[in-house]
This record gives sequence, structure tokens and C-alpha cells, in this order.
Amino acid sequence: MNTPIKSIVIVGGGTAGWITAGRIAAKYNANSNISVTLIESPTINIIGVGEGTWPTMRNTLIKMGISETDFMRACDATFKQGAKFAKWVDGTPNDFYYHPLMLPQGFNKVDLPPHWQANFSHHSFSDAVCFQEQICEKGLAPKLITTPEYASIANYAYHLDAVKFAEFLKNHCVKNLAVRHVLADVTGVISKENGDIAAVTTQNLGDISGDLFVDCTGFSSLLLGKHLQVPFLDKSDILFIDTAVAVQLPYERDDSPIASHTISTAQEAGWIWDIGLTRRRGIGYVYSSRHTNHEQAEDTLRKYAGPAIGKLEVRKIPISSGHRKLFWKNNCVAVGLSAGFLEPLEASAIVLVELSAEMIAEQLPACREVMDITAKRFNETFLYRWDRIIDFLKLHYILSKRSDNTFWTDNRDPETIPESLQELMQLWRFRSPKNCDFSSNNEVFPAASYQYVLYGMGFKLDTAYLDYSRFAADAALATEQINLNASAIKNALSKLPTNRELIEKIHEYGLAKI
Amino acid sequence: MSTLVALNSRAHQTVAINPRQVEAQAGQLHMVPVVLSEFLKLSLQYPIVVTKNQDTGRFTCVTLFGLEKGENLFFSGGTWDALYLPLQIRRQPFFLGKSDTENEKFVICIDTSHASIEQQNGERLFDINGSETDYLTGIKNILAELFEGENLTQLFINELLSLNLLQRLRLQIALEDGNAVQVEGLYSINEPNLDKLTSEQLFTLQKKSYLHPIYTMITSIGHIYGLVDKKNRRAEKPNQK
Repeated sequence: MNTPIKSIVIVGGGTAGWITAGRIAAKYNANSNISVTLIESPTINIIGVGEGTWPTMRNTLIKMGISETDFMRACDATFKQGAKFAKWVDGTPNDFYYHPLMLPQGFNKVDLPPHWQANFSHHSFSDAVCFQEQICEKGLAPKLITTPEYASIANYAYHLDAVKFAEFLKNHCVKNLAVRHVLADVTGVISKENGDIAAVTTQNLGDISGDLFVDCTGFSSLLLGKHLQVPFLDKSDILFIDTAVAVQLPYERDDSPIASHTISTAQEAGWIWDIGLTRRRGIGYVYSSRHTNHEQAEDTLRKYAGPAIGKLEVRKIPISSGHRKLFWKNNCVAVGLSAGFLEPLEASAIVLVELSAEMIAEQLPACREVMDITAKRFNETFLYRWDRIIDFLKLHYILSKRSDNTFWTDNRDPETIPESLQELMQLWRFRSPKNCDFSSNNEVFPAASYQYVLYGMGFKLDTAYLDYSRFAADAALATEQINLNASAIKNALSKLPTNRELIEKIHEYGLAKI
Repeated sequence: MSTLVALNSRAHQTVAINPRQVEAQAGQLHMVPVVLSEFLKLSLQYPIVVTKNQDTGRFTCVTLFGLEKGENLFFSGGTWDALYLPLQIRRQPFFLGKSDTENEKFVICIDTSHASIEQQNGERLFDINGSETDYLTGIKNILAELFEGENLTQLFINELLSLNLLQRLRLQIALEDGNAVQVEGLYSINEPNLDKLTSEQLFTLQKKSYLHPIYTMITSIGHIYGLVDKKNRRAEKPNQK
């Protein structure tokens, strides 16, 4: 007799809980056999600081049946077109590069980096090959008021208010997706003989049973970590950041420009994120307490914020850099902070939530008898992804030339660099990153992303072993692409509104569905 | 340049309008906003479609006189060759403005710099006694029909959107002289979705008297062929532009 998986119980609200609830409930909306329940504590707050997303969020919202206009209005959302990394190489005032959200012009036609390096290196790599950098530098939006919902002129993701986002998703899930919302503190777990979770016990609403439990309890990892005792793999030997101090800053004026990208500014022992929403910014200094102390760190944040910070209190959040050894054990799978966390250098936390929710929804085991197989595949998939994210984040550090603090020199110690990254770096001495370097179905960052960081940070390709047999023809093709990009920049700059302008119009008129 | 002022019988006692000039001012327009009450008359010769306002992204009903910006295939040699001219054209140089003194009230205003204004011949607005002429009464009726019509037409569009009855219309036209024209940014009735409506939804449309304009819009699309034909004929005889 097979035991069908019919009831899914998610413990924890916040972004992880509600995206998982929404994705599963939307997929099985017409299936009355599958029920989704979300238990949320009335006393424990959500962490509420995760405000950067990837373009995948557009698809996630579409899959949940959410209108982009409604979402942007309710969550103070703005457009994000990539990340600007300032002062990461040598800390001088003009030291910056972009990791935009679009492929380099002609990426699939010609290997650009050697030709850019030979003939166009007076121009930053991202600016030479991608029109998005200029759009961001000028504070422009990625589309027009006449562009339909979710469609784009330049590829984009969102910056959003984490607290409002959770509230918005909750209302949508409960009103439109038949998600059962239970407000209760989980006090314990009732286990089955095989170690499965039969039910969770609550403060005053009795026991809630389920077939599949999703742990969205944040850093406390109540179910996977605490109850099922899945160990935490500490990655602080690779990525040193262990604390965040954050604050929300008002804009100078109601019509101050809104940045169309995340800004990451390197500091003496870490870096500061700067995210612009409609009516306020969110900034935070993530740092290593081994390389600085809290007073200095708060001082650094206040200096960055300037007078806008006034007498505002900053919030201190300890960070354990790493992830669980497994994510799915027995009938419990962790999504979000309960699975792990790394510094938000490339806004990877929310996309991991989306990918997890998608896999659970799309591959929901039909019955308990096959769940262990799905769990095994889920674990393989996400262990691979966490490793790739760690590699990519570490890349930002190993290419830096800063030596103002041992934080930077320690980061370049080969003992702290994963072998997978070291191997690729060896290959990339002699050729640029290619798609074939990333051949798994579960890749997170494509070759183009590595190119943006490598060449943005001044990594020099050793041209001794390049294939010169077609160099002249390829050089011409590369030049053509770079010229096409220059035209694309001109065109975009002439027709796109500012980010602020478009956001105000969206609030007033909305975006059409077609 | 416009000079927009409220109309009054003393200041504008001798103002006269040249209707031919009013029509001529629309000679370079390839589209104009229209309201529900004129759909049947428009459908005699023009395609009725929907397009987005470039500043707000909001949808509006328009009628087409040409396929490219500045092209009016019904106007040549200084005159219109058409059976019906939309209200938006015939209302010129008048419009409704907000009253300075009373809230919620509108007053008739005039653009005194408009090319159709004369002091000699043409249609007077006020007679010797300062009373409204038939011409001015006609203008008032047009403005009233437009004012009411704009709201009603917006409600109609909202209903179309809520029932997913609009779809993008992309025209790829091969002209006889070998040139090609691509027309974007237009929307028309989504007929497959119209066919899929439930009886309840259809009944609602019928009660609101929306079935007429929906089908009028559908049949009016055929007039695009008419525009293409006029464009081809015009290319043959360039001197007649």
C-alpha cells in the first residue's frame, strides 16, 4: 500500500515560507487532494532583510498568478538590473565594475575577452560589451510604461521590501491559493518510528500533522537542524563574513533618483550593500569580526550613510556562513535560511528559495515510498548549487588587490580557496570562461557572469597560448559586436525613462497585462 | 502655439470659424481618439483599434487614417474625401476646461491661435445680439458627446481587458512598390477568447450594450485593406499628396 503525499505543512512565514507555499499551492490549485498549510509564529519575527532578487522572480510571481503592478505597489519594489561593485580591486575612487543581468553582445558568436583586452581595454569590459551598465549609471529603468507586465527592454529583477513582500504573498496565498494559514508557535515534533515527522505540536492549536514538512524557520532550523540533527557545514574558512549591521535610510527628497542596481562597496573588512526601494534605501555592512570590531564596523556604516542616518539605530545580525550537510531528510526539507546562508554578495538567498520551491512543486513525490529518491536528488542538486555559489562569491575576493587589512590578504590565501575554483582559475589563465566550463543542469552562474567579474576586476588573459588561426576574422566580429553595443547604448539612453519616473507612473497608472 | 481661453460672448463676439480649415488641421493625423457613440459611423470607412497612450500606458480607442505617422490617406489636395469625420476633429478649436469659479463645472474654451479662426467669413459663434448660433450649439453637442463618451469608452475598454478580449495586432504589409510597412502598438478584439466566453459573460456584455461595438470593431479591421489600397494608389500618383 502506497502512502500518497497529500498534505504539505510549511513551518515559518517570511519569503521562504510564502514562496514555497505559493508555488506548491498554485501548481496544485485545481487538485483537491493536495493541501498546503503554513504555520507561522505570532511571536517570532521574520528576519526581514533580504531585498535583492534575480530575474527568476518574475517567473515565480507569474507562476503564483500575481500581477506585477499589484506586487510593485504593495512591496515598494523597484527594478534591479545588476550589481555595481565599487572599490573591490584597489579601493581607489574610480574603482568599480558591473555585473549586469544581460549577456555580452554577441556572446554566442565570438569569444570577446581576448579582443576586448587587445583593442578595447581602455573601456571597462562590462561597458564595452553590455548596454546595461550605462542604463544603470544614468539611473534609467529597464522598460517603458507601455511595456506589458513582466516584459522587458533590458533584463531585470527587483529590489523589494522584505516585510511587505511576506505580507503581500501571505494575503495572495490565503485569498487566492487556498493556503491554510495557522498562527501558532511550534513547541515540538511528534515522530514516527522511521524518523519521519508525523506532526508538529503547537502552543495552543493542537497537533498539526502532515505528509511533507518544509522547514522555513530561518536560522534556527527547527525541524531539519534541531530536530533531525542534520549538521551544519561551516564555510567560514572560505567566506569570512560573520556579522551584518543594517539600517534603513530615508531619501533626501521624495523625487530623489532610485538606483537601478544593487551597489556593493568594499570596505576594510567586508562590504556594504545599498539597495534602493521607492521610499527608502536599505544598507548594511557585512564584515568579518576576526578582522575588525563592532564599533569600527558601525562607524564604517555610519560614515557610508552620511547625515541621512541621523540618530537611527542599526541592527546587528550574526551570520553563520555555510549550509546544512543535507537539505531533505526523511519527510522534511529545508528552504531558506534553515538550509544555510552565505553573504548576500550576489543576492543568491532568494533565488535558492525559488529554486527549492520549484523543485518541490514540480517533483513532489507521489507517495512516501519514492520520497527518499526525490530527497537524494534534491540534496545532490542543491549541494552542487551551494558549492558553485561559494566558488563564485570567493572569485570576487581572490581577484582583489587590496591590502589595507588582512581581511583582503587572508582571502587570497590558497588554503581558503576551493579546489574547484582554483582549477578553473588555472584554465582561465590561458582562455576565457566558456559555457562548457558549466555543464551541469544545476548551474547557478553562467560563464558570462564569471567573465564580468574576471575582466571587471582586471584579470589579465595570458595571450601566449591563444588560437591565432582565426584571430583577424574574430577580431573583426568582436569589433562589430562592440560597435553594436555602442548603438544599443545610444538607443536605450534616448528612450528609457528614469527609474524613479517609471516607478511613479506604475503606481499611478499600472502596467497593462498585454 | 496655443492660446487657451474660456469662451465668452463679449470677447469673442466677432469670432468665426472656417470649417474647411478645421478639417484641414487634421490632414496630417494618422490616428485620432474616438468614442463608442461614433463607432457605427466610423466603421463605414475606418479601422477602429485600441492603442496605448505613450505617457500613461493606458488604453484608448482610436481610428486609423493611415499606416504611418503623419500619413492621412483620406486627405489630399486640401480636402477630406470621407463620409464621416470623428468628433475629435470636428470639435476643434474648442475644448472643455475646468471652471475657475465653480468646482465640478466645465466651461467651453477656445484656442484663439488656431488656424481655423477668422474675423470675416466662416461660421459665427454669436449673433448680433450675443446669442449662441446654431454652429456653437452644434459644437457644444459635440463636446458633450465627447465628454460623456470618453468615460463610457474607458469603461468599455476596462470590460474588454477584464475578459481578456484584447490582443496585440501586428501588421506586416507588403506594398505594391516593393516597400514594406510594419505597424506595431495596436490592439484589436481577441476573437478566440470572445468565442470562449461563458453565457453569463456574454449576457453581461449584451446588457451593457457592448456586443455591438465589439463586433463593429471586428468588422472594421477589414478597412485596413482599404488603407493599404489607398496607400498603393497614392504611391502610383505621388503628385496628389
